[in-house]
Amino acid sequence: MVAPLVVDQRPVRERQLVRFLLFGMVALLGVSGLLTRLIYLQLMTSQTYQAQAEQNRTVKQAIPSSRGLIYDRTGRLLVANEPSYSVKIRPVDLPFSQRDEVVARLSALLSIDPADINTMIDSNPGSRFDPVRIATDVPVATANFIAEEHLALPGVEIVVEPKRHYLFGALLAQVLGYTGAIDADTLKQVQGQGYLPDDLIGRAGVESTYESTLRGVYGLETVERDATGRRLQVLSTDRAAQAGDSLQLTIDTKEQLLAQKAVVWAMQKAGLKRGVMIVMNPQTGEILAMVSLPTYDDNKFAQGISRKDFQALVANQDHPLLNHGINEQFPPGSTYKVVTAVGALTDRKLGPDELVQTRAYLQLGPDKFWDWNRAGFGLLDIKGGFARSSDTFFYQVAARLGIDRLGYWARQFGFGAPTGIDLPGEAAGIVPDERWKQDTFGQAIFPGETYQAGIGQGYDTATALQVLNAYAALANGGRLYRPQVVREILDPEGNVVRAFQPQLIRRIAAPAANFEIMRLAAREVVTSGHTYNLRDLPIVVAGKTGTAEFGVRDSQGRLPFHNWFVAFVPKHGDVSKPDSELAVVGFNYDANTVGNSATEMVKYYLQLHFNLKVDLRLDFLMERGNFYGGN
Amino acid sequence: MGVLRAEPVRVREWTARSVGAAWRAFDWQMTIFAVLLVGIGLAMAFSNSVAAGTPILGLKSTFVRGLIWVAVGSVVYIAAVAFDYRWLKTFAWPLYFVNLALLVASMLIGDGQGGSARWVSILGFQFQFSELAKILMIVVLANYLASRQHALDSLSTILGAGALVLPAVALVMLQPDLGTSLVLGAILAGMLFMSGASLRWLTILSGLILGAIPFIWANVLHDYQKQRLLSFLNPSADPQGAGYQLFQSQIAVGSGGLFGKGLTNGTQNQLDFLPVQTTDFVFALVAEELGFLGAVLVFSLFIALIWRILLAAWRSRDPFGSGVAAGLASMLVFQLIVNVGMVIGVMPITGIPLPFITHGGASLVSIALGLGILQSINIRQARAEW
Repeated sequence: MVAPLVVDQRPVRERQLVRFLLFGMVALLGVSGLLTRLIYLQLMTSQTYQAQAEQNRTVKQAIPSSRGLIYDRTGRLLVANEPSYSVKIRPVDLPFSQRDEVVARLSALLSIDPADINTMIDSNPGSRFDPVRIATDVPVATANFIAEEHLALPGVEIVVEPKRHYLFGALLAQVLGYTGAIDADTLKQVQGQGYLPDDLIGRAGVESTYESTLRGVYGLETVERDATGRRLQVLSTDRAAQAGDSLQLTIDTKEQLLAQKAVVWAMQKAGLKRGVMIVMNPQTGEILAMVSLPTYDDNKFAQGISRKDFQALVANQDHPLLNHGINEQFPPGSTYKVVTAVGALTDRKLGPDELVQTRAYLQLGPDKFWDWNRAGFGLLDIKGGFARSSDTFFYQVAARLGIDRLGYWARQFGFGAPTGIDLPGEAAGIVPDERWKQDTFGQAIFPGETYQAGIGQGYDTATALQVLNAYAALANGGRLYRPQVVREILDPEGNVVRAFQPQLIRRIAAPAANFEIMRLAAREVVTSGHTYNLRDLPIVVAGKTGTAEFGVRDSQGRLPFHNWFVAFVPKHGDVSKPDSELAVVGFNYDANTVGNSATEMVKYYLQLHFNLKVDLRLDFLMERGNFYGGN
Repeated sequence: MGVLRAEPVRVREWTARSVGAAWRAFDWQMTIFAVLLVGIGLAMAFSNSVAAGTPILGLKSTFVRGLIWVAVGSVVYIAAVAFDYRWLKTFAWPLYFVNLALLVASMLIGDGQGGSARWVSILGFQFQFSELAKILMIVVLANYLASRQHALDSLSTILGAGALVLPAVALVMLQPDLGTSLVLGAILAGMLFMSGASLRWLTILSGLILGAIPFIWANVLHDYQKQRLLSFLNPSADPQGAGYQLFQSQIAVGSGGLFGKGLTNGTQNQLDFLPVQTTDFVFALVAEELGFLGAVLVFSLFIALIWRILLAAWRSRDPFGSGVAAGLASMLVFQLIVNVGMVIGVMPITGIPLPFITHGGASLVSIALGLGILQSINIRQARAEW
């Protein structure tokens, strides 16, 4: 036998008493251990846990505000809010095992590629508890069907949301823009302003530039939620939602329609792919119409554009999503000669009546710089030079000014910097001077480049809006205004919050007399027959044509021609007075036509605008042909 | 042989004692403590029914199901008290095989989460046979140890007891139900210790088992079991995953404070942040809604109940009676400490229910059966001297 332990020597019953007592002590010890921990959790650190429980339970949630409406200058409603059904998925409620099945069902119901739905879920900018927008503006029948099938579609929600309805669709898409789902990068920037992961945000046009005005201020409420994040009840409203303010545009829908009609006609006639027309009041900088074709239907975006449709828009080589009037820059061609002229007159490098010898070409070292007609026009004063658009005239004037003074005057007219119009993505254009050339190419300007710069070629680029704005300043006697498309901001009750105020960028530092000379010169462009039958319009029009080579050479090495025409109409038929209230620019991209298609286009618009009984359109000028270059 | 010897005196003794004397020996205190604990369990079931949002008096509500099980448990308790426990000695071996058969049955026809087979559905009520198995195992072990009174010092007694428990442990592990197998082990250890078995051998064998833990860890446990066991050490490492339950239950317990948030006012429970709040984590609900005072009340009732059980163990002249008592006390103490320890984050997650309070018919009915047997032993001790 092994030596027994002490306890084991006792009788069984006595032994058991000791063991029972020992067991009881162990039990008490265990319970005291639990009690110690409970004292720590419930008495000593309870507040921490209470805070955590509260944090678990409540969440601050935004109350969406209703987005402001948009009207045209006559009070016509352009953008309305309509209730629509959206389909969203809360990833946390969608079990992974059922995901493929649910996505496949939704895909069939909504006609969205399953891969697209998966991408939307996976690229969700919020957390797994935040709903992901799958489809916006689904038909009522589909929404009802999905709502009824909720058991078979876990995690799928139908949400009633206001949707933007653009009453005129593509007509005003470039100006109005559209709202769309916020992306992850944008969300990061604006999350502090109360944007939600499944929020909509203005993404183009005034919807984008006036986002904060239109959006209003989202309210905030404290909501009780359960463990899955589902909201149960509103505990308190911390801040009520404030509806967004409405916009009244400077755009006149009627003028927009007429301008669009003229552009469409010109593009069809001449087989053009891109056309621009902008109409402005030179006295205020208000944009009355702004057409850029091809364009897109902003309702498609409001409805949640399909990836296929979006890809098609992006892949289109004529960039329908771009507003070609402000987002792209081209050489302004001869329209730029107004800069050279006003600059030279003001700097006294050219007298108002001084005659300059024009030639077939100017020789500069080995290079010949040709006039556009390859013959020259003899002796011309400034008006004659401008009216005939003589290149050799302006080469010489530009050389007298020098590149830096030319650059100075270009910037005075608003070239080389965005005009500041209240639309997104405006291009700045290029005004070359010595410093620009050094910064860009590390070289000095060659004399030939000064020649080119004087006629709006070479390095010069500008947007159609810049060209229009420069001529608006000419038309009003030298005041350069910031163009505006939004006239007034109205609160939800219709009271004016911000009244219209013309915004002067600068008074161009040239005497009124020089502007008057150039207005007369611009009138001579029309009367000298340079613009064919424009003088036959029963209204007084002044303007300037332009043609520029730009872009990709064709198989014969020829560059595409772009046609410009910019015009203004004096109020009482007297161009000597700076009283014009109508200026128009037309721009045609890649327009190898017999005549200047842009002039025909603007002429047709004026005909429509003044409701003239004559039709002066000349179809033969719109035929594809070997149009002369350089004027 | 002891079994046969007891049989002839049974009828004579029963008839010889007055009913009054028998009821005087009935331990009212034990019954009251148990009933109070059941009452707290029902209160928690009520709170859960409110949280679930189903009609509180509907057949699906946790509360109504709890009431039904309390009724069943009461009937079982009274029947067990009335039943002469000495018959159990007679049927100890058949009971043992019934026990094993039940465990095999739940393996074959049982349902459970994640591929485990724990519950058998009877008339729409889920019943966990392994709960009953614990009580039956106590009875079988008590009978075995009573028959080994003469050889308590020998190793063979301990090994014999272990051999009895091992098949049940193995079957429960296969379900797989780690918690119940641990409880069976605790019952075995407690009963051996309190029966007066050789402390030296018990110490040596405990050492061997402790030494075998690394082997069990590596070869027997499933990955999810290991993960659960370890997550309590560092719950914040993965607050949305394995540590989520612990994290949320500690928030529930801690936020309860001294007085609690009041019945049905616990946000952690009502809003479903607490996982499995009706079963394994029910203590978190007690602590959240009834506070530290509620928790102390639960502990006090358990201590008092266990005190009465140990008293019954000591009073019992019949070593079978003290064995049953020792087994019940071991089971209750172990489950209390491991369950509450799990909820408050000092013990691993093992899925052991809190007796009386955890919602579950099998647990309640089994404990009612166990306590009923103990009462039956109590009132059948001739002229107890206490």
